[in-house]
Amino acid sequence: MTEQIQDSLAVEAELPSSTMTVNLGPSHPAMHGTVRLIVTLDGETIVEAVPEIGFLHRGFSKSSEHSTWHQVLPYTDRLNYVSPILNNVGYIMGVEKLLGIKDTERSQYLRVLAGEISRITDHLTCIGAIGLELGAFTVFLYAMEARELLWDRISELTGARVTTSWTRVGGVASDLPPGWEQKLRDCLPRVMELTGEVDTLLTRNRIFIDRTRGIGVLSAEEAVDWGFTGPCLRATGVNYDVRKAHPYLVYDRMDFEVPLGASGDTYDRYILRLEEIRQSHRIVLQCLEQMPPGPILIDDWRYALPPKKEVFGSIEGVMAHFKLITEGIQVPPGEVYVYTEGANGELGFHLVSNGKGKPYAIQVRGPGLPILSALPRLIKGHAIADLIPIFDSINMIGGEVEQ
Amino acid sequence: MTKVFVDGREVEADPRDNLIEAARRIGVAIPYFCYHPRLSIAGQCRMCLVETSDAPGRLVPGCQVRVKEGMKVVTSSPAVRDNQRGCMEFHLINHPVDCAICDQSGECKLQDYYMEFDHQPSRIRTSKLNKPKREIFGPLVVYDAERCIMCTRCVRFMDEIAQEPQLAVVDRGSHSLISTFPGQPLDSKYSGNTVDICPVGALLNRDFRFQSRVWFVEKSPAVCTGCANGCNVYLESRGNLIYRLLPRRNEEVNQVWMCDEGRLTHHETNEKRVEQGDLARAIELLRPIAGKPGIGISLSAQCTNEEAAAAFDFGARIGAEKYFFTARLDGDGDDFLIRQDKNPNRRGVELAARAAGVTLHDSVEGIKALVAFRTDGLLLEKPLEVFIAIAQNQGIEGQVTLPCQSVYEQDGSVINYYGRLQRTWPGVPAERGESAPAWSWAERILAGLGIAGAPRSAAAAFDLLGLPGLKLEAIPEEGVVLEQLLPAQWPKRAPRPAGAAR
Repeated sequence: MTEQIQDSLAVEAELPSSTMTVNLGPSHPAMHGTVRLIVTLDGETIVEAVPEIGFLHRGFSKSSEHSTWHQVLPYTDRLNYVSPILNNVGYIMGVEKLLGIKDTERSQYLRVLAGEISRITDHLTCIGAIGLELGAFTVFLYAMEARELLWDRISELTGARVTTSWTRVGGVASDLPPGWEQKLRDCLPRVMELTGEVDTLLTRNRIFIDRTRGIGVLSAEEAVDWGFTGPCLRATGVNYDVRKAHPYLVYDRMDFEVPLGASGDTYDRYILRLEEIRQSHRIVLQCLEQMPPGPILIDDWRYALPPKKEVFGSIEGVMAHFKLITEGIQVPPGEVYVYTEGANGELGFHLVSNGKGKPYAIQVRGPGLPILSALPRLIKGHAIADLIPIFDSINMIGGEVEQ
Repeated sequence: MTKVFVDGREVEADPRDNLIEAARRIGVAIPYFCYHPRLSIAGQCRMCLVETSDAPGRLVPGCQVRVKEGMKVVTSSPAVRDNQRGCMEFHLINHPVDCAICDQSGECKLQDYYMEFDHQPSRIRTSKLNKPKREIFGPLVVYDAERCIMCTRCVRFMDEIAQEPQLAVVDRGSHSLISTFPGQPLDSKYSGNTVDICPVGALLNRDFRFQSRVWFVEKSPAVCTGCANGCNVYLESRGNLIYRLLPRRNEEVNQVWMCDEGRLTHHETNEKRVEQGDLARAIELLRPIAGKPGIGISLSAQCTNEEAAAAFDFGARIGAEKYFFTARLDGDGDDFLIRQDKNPNRRGVELAARAAGVTLHDSVEGIKALVAFRTDGLLLEKPLEVFIAIAQNQGIEGQVTLPCQSVYEQDGSVINYYGRLQRTWPGVPAERGESAPAWSWAERILAGLGIAGAPRSAAAAFDLLGLPGLKLEAIPEEGVVLEQLLPAQWPKRAPRPAGAAR
């Protein structure tokens, strides 16, 4: 009898435990964009996490040095591949700054229009993935339906869903196709309806709130120190949006608000993106209203390819085409840093020219990298089950994090 | 020196400089089509017009006006820019839409200047003039009159440099074109240079035409192997093929020219090559007789210095009895760039022989076995017991033939007729079969026979030449003159070293 009692006491006693190391990824479905997390667990609690990037073998900077300025454009599609047009715009604005030229007014509206559509698709992807990985599969399907509606419009406009390569030095590659504006106006209400469905399904959902509120909290001060930008920074209450702080293109003519969070947790990062979708929707509608007719590309054959009629029919056109294609745009020596508001934050391009047709060097400030580097700080002390929602909410995109 | 101001910057110019050359001294490029530093001034293209303090309010041709003390030159004022733009527009009035099918694309002055100075559509609404599209001028040159901008560089070159006036301008105004004389083709031995100096795609090399786009080939320096003059050239290659040879400037060898025969020497590197060789069998054939009497070594004047030095080293190590010197037969020569001796390195082989202390015999006789280092001009009167050939091209085959790299493909050096030691570089990116420099085959045969110590690199073979103070790697791109080899007699017009007596 006494032996039995002693045995049961032994079972109740605290078990001696040691930490356990778990590899998450790189090929785990929840590790978006092939990243690896080396997580040290004490029971279910995360003690330490080390993110490891580099599995995509992007080689963006180096590849760019062997391409003409325009040939770099397809590489930028693959930075943040959920909102490629925002990368296209950011990069090409850098080249234009080096050249000291500006694109046409219509092109500026087109860039803002397509850029904001891309921002919506980016946020929809992020929100859908959070829902999916917290078990709300419906949310994911709603978000994907909305995203695909918009990507259909993008592919009609640019010829591709994701690999858009749509901007050009001094303009954009294609104008709105006939009937496209109406198509967009027809599908936007459905997109907003689906976004509303996501809102009603998640925002006041008990389970969702329990899993996200107070999880992965970062203070405003810390977020600034880590170099956060974009929704992750604004979720902590810091009001910094490049579109407002340093307006570019025609953002100064747009009436929109920058939503701000307060607590800097997973929930705030979610709700902020939801609200930004609504603001981007406003900008898209305003672009459609304000957009003037006119050329979509500057008429200067030093930078912009001549019209095909001139290329095939005149020696001047074929020469300009030939030189621009084989040698590239001759960009004067210099270096610039341009920054635009990408879907995840400040997307910066540092471009260096030595006066040739190819970049001397290109570096990217992908907004995802500083945010990813703070991931260990965000998830430390949380349960292993909270890792995935936190990781989702920072919306790391492999293509822009790795260079 | 004469002091002038180009765009406000002071230039110390030679009093004989024209404005183009004066501006070039500080890196200011005045555009021109018809001017050529080695030809007379034509003033045809009007592209080089600039403003000077001597003639305010007027534009003067930069090619024709000489510098004057204190002269102020403006090369990019609105008036100058406007003229340049206008010139380009006029030059292109009758130019066909040919870039896509034109060999000059990518190295065309019209394209370069159009993008720099014009870059806008033409305002001319008349239709373009039709002219002869493919006039065969001669064995190497074809002419497209529609592309011609009448700079007359080719005419002046034939008159002044080749000194065989075979080209002329015929007809007038916009109908004018370049023509040969009736019944007389452009068959000068220097006709290929007219293609090089043609700033547009009017004169084209028939050998290179439609073979490759110019931006696909890689340019590397080389020394022409066509004759003993050793003209400095660029070879342009892709894969294991050489597409064309172009002259490389060397004032003391070939200035900026080369002959047509030399231009075609790359075909030997591209065609009818020996590609595979049975090294093991060569070693087996030599094993029983190595060190015994009756072995001969032959080497040709096409060998690089390193191959020649390695041949003598090989002979010494294997116990060769006799050495034979073979060479290509003499051909036509002249007093400018073409030498009668059609071998690139006769002087080098002789130098290597002296360094090795051996005597060279002319006809192959009195031996039982022969190892031939390149087979050019090799004549065997009766079959030998053992004959191993290290050969570049098919033709003379031994019991074993080992593939030899061409001079254009290997690291090494050659010495021209007046004793200029010049470096050659591997200029063909891809390998051709098992081909290797002859010194490499020699080393591998010896290694197979268990004899160590033979040179294992071009630099090591070069050191056997006994040239104190010289290393292969240290030979400058323009070469060095070996004073002890300088001849007493010079061809009349041949370029020569600065110090050599006139």
